Amino acid sequence: MAELQGLGAHLSQAEKAGVEIVAVSPDPNERSQKIAEGLHLGYRFLADRDLAVTRRYGLVHAGAGPNGQDVPRPATVVLDRDGVVRWFSVTRNFQVRPDPDDVLRAVRAL
Amino acid sequence: MTVSSKLAALGVVVAIAAIAAYALLLRVAIVRNHPEGYVVAFALATALAALAVARARARRWPAWLVLGLTSLLLAGGAWFNFVAARVPDTPTVLRVGERPPDFTLSDAAGRDVSLSEYRGKKPVVIVFYRGYW
Repeated sequence: MAELQGLGAHLSQAEKAGVEIVAVSPDPNERSQKIAEGLHLGYRFLADRDLAVTRRYGLVHAGAGPNGQDVPRPATVVLDRDGVVRWFSVTRNFQVRPDPDDVLRAVRAL
Repeated sequence: MTVSSKLAALGVVVAIAAIAAYALLLRVAIVRNHPEGYVVAFALATALAALAVARARARRWPAWLVLGLTSLLLAGGAWFNFVAARVPDTPTVLRVGERPPDFTLSDAAGRDVSLSEYRGKKPVVIVFYRGYW
């Protein structure tokens, strides 16, 4: 959650209106909705329950869940207005997330 | 207080401070993104404890106890950071300058949302979130 909070805290109101932040999560919608409301950030949570999208993107950390299930490999992708990737970061250590400042720099450079 | 017990106490303080700082400052990007910092702190605490053992004259067991605990922290911390937390490289489809595959997923209100809806309208930041499971 920390990376989402960081990202939201760094964005101005105008920037929040100008960019869509989409969080793809394996958690059920109700749970994500609660998190989104708790943070008052207006992010769009999309539930990828079976990791189909995460898998298509090649972002699965195989067998890393508590019961040996697959879980997403944390990643952040910045797309420009035309839907083209301008910047992305995929973590190599699950404790590490991209620095919100780096993400913002990529967003502001669009 | 002997030099040995001072060194041992300092080792304990360094180890506890490292755990507390990491736990409390997890939201600070520079702390969260440098988890090797706690491994370095545990190594420092272990070195201090080893010095304490070397300098101990009469009562040696407190220094040995601290050395045992800090060594455990060092081994556990290093294993967690360098082995357990490592995410194996996977071939992603993401390429800078290319459009990633479109997808449709439902949002919290149960509405279907496609990535392509935003094309021509808004930049998008997609965060693949690990989730709470």
